[in-house]
Amino acid sequence: MAGAKNKHWAMVIDSAKCIDCKACDVACKRENGIEANGRREVYRNWITSKGVEGTYPNLKQRFEPSQCHHCANTPCYKVCPTSATYKNDDGLIMMDYKRCIVCSTCIAACPYDARYVSKQKKAIDKCTFCAHRIYTGKLPACVDTCPTKVRVFGDLNDPESEVSKILASRHYFVIKPEAGTKPNLYYLT
Amino acid sequence: MSTLIGSAIQNVKSSFSPRGVVWTLWAGILVVIGLAALVNYFIHGHDAYGTSRQVPWGILISTYVFFVVSSTGLCLVSSLGHVFGFKQFEVIGKRAIVMAIATILAGFAVIATEIGYPFRMLIYNFVSPNFAAAIWWMGTLYGLYLLFILLEFGFMMKVHHKYAGYAGLAAFVAGIAAHSNLGAVFGLLDARKWWSGPFLPIYFILSAAVTGCAIVLLLFAVRYMKEKMPDNVRDTMLTISKLFCFLLGVLIFFGIWKLFSSLYAGAPGKYEAMMALVNGPLWVSYWGFEVFLGMVLPFVLILVTKGKNLGVAVFAAASSMVGIFFMRYNLVVAGQLKPMRYDPEVVGAGGLVSYAPTITEIGIVLGGIGLCLLMYIAANMIFNLDAEEHH
Ligand code: SF4
Ligand code: SF4
Repeated sequence: MAGAKNKHWAMVIDSAKCIDCKACDVACKRENGIEANGRREVYRNWITSKGVEGTYPNLKQRFEPSQCHHCANTPCYKVCPTSATYKNDDGLIMMDYKRCIVCSTCIAACPYDARYVSKQKKAIDKCTFCAHRIYTGKLPACVDTCPTKVRVFGDLNDPESEVSKILASRHYFVIKPEAGTKPNLYYLT
Repeated sequence: MSTLIGSAIQNVKSSFSPRGVVWTLWAGILVVIGLAALVNYFIHGHDAYGTSRQVPWGILISTYVFFVVSSTGLCLVSSLGHVFGFKQFEVIGKRAIVMAIATILAGFAVIATEIGYPFRMLIYNFVSPNFAAAIWWMGTLYGLYLLFILLEFGFMMKVHHKYAGYAGLAAFVAGIAAHSNLGAVFGLLDARKWWSGPFLPIYFILSAAVTGCAIVLLLFAVRYMKEKMPDNVRDTMLTISKLFCFLLGVLIFFGIWKLFSSLYAGAPGKYEAMMALVNGPLWVSYWGFEVFLGMVLPFVLILVTKGKNLGVAVFAAASSMVGIFFMRYNLVVAGQLKPMRYDPEVVGAGGLVSYAPTITEIGIVLGGIGLCLLMYIAANMIFNLDAEEHH
């Protein structure tokens, strides 16, 4: 269980600012050395087009960026037979690649389609919130690169963090709350 | 020991019939096809399969389920005799247990080609087990189950009835536990609404019993193809056919309520999966194979012949086995067709994603069936699988 001294990593996403430039996807692939080699299902984060809103001439196209939600109640972690999927002390959902047998049960268990088979890793792969960066004080690559600052990342256990302040002052929602996964990706309304 | 080996050699010699050679040849061809498919898999990895990010489990998983359902079913049916003491069923013991061993080994072989790194499983199932995972329990319990049925068979061959009974009981308990855990591998996936809930673990046990009856009927029909079936065996088979018919009736009942409850409220996830079967991409596989060949035809055939015509019962069993193979496929595939997220590049008509097995996957399935038959044929040659009373 995450105690007071632990971090509670979370990402706040302001979808209204997203222009679908896919810089986050590119930054993620470069940062994490992901080579898709033409396999279109190889990606850790993605943008969903939510269609056009409004009536002409006041139209707005909506895009919704997403990735692994680092669920606090974690279906992928529960089903993993060999503990290849594990939680770190701060609640990040991580992969120990060498333990993964690629039974794909976690793919079937994830309500957000956040996982895929990685030939490169010889295991299942997914977003780690750039764990290798955030513990050295950097931001996840997707947060860092976004030209319109759609994503804000930080520690919800710190009331002074930007994520805490935004969530205290703005309305937000999570995706598929009915799945009971307690996700850590928050979307501003 | 030497007498056992001696009688085994004797058996091999005496069971070399032209018919045996033909069976072996067919099974051998299937295994060769399987090996060719395996080579393609080793070259191309999972790219040789039709599975994807959206549909990670395909026909190899459903074939694995088919084999282990068969194995559990055979164990359940054979337990009636030497575990629960229904004397009449004792004649089926050895033959059923040998096939239970062959089917589970074939199942393991098939799933080893679907799991990306099966050898890691052998290590990390012990090093870093996750006791919360149904798939861990399933794997471990099936391992134990295999051990117990091997012991059971060993004791049966040495005519240690008491120990065979103990091992049989242990196999029965492990089999039920393992098999319901297999149901739970699907049933505990809350994201997949059509699978989730307590239905599948229970349904799996029921359908195992149905499958067990069907295979026993087929095994004995083949055994006595060329010679007259002894009366006691015939009586047992007729009883099994009635049990088979009754269990099919219960299975149909389960199926009807699964159908209604999935469609009734139009609940997202459940509804689309069921509709994929009823009126979607899997409709032929559902209505033609699962419902008609798998359940309704065999049920009606045995019912109208009042369970008195063994030939009809055997035909019903064959029809049912074909249908049951598709039943497993439908269960595994339909549960994944409604995607977790709308991705316009992969989501097609009706909001569903698609899956079709590749030639490689089908080749491995055929290889698995061949392997299962070969193992059974070999055991049939090496051991005397008839009950002691009539040799
Ligand atoms: S989003 Fe999916 S992969 Fe990420 S923690 Fe939740 S269930 Fe696991
Ligand atoms: S595919 Fe790997 S990470 Fe996923 S459940 Fe299986 S062993 Fe665990």
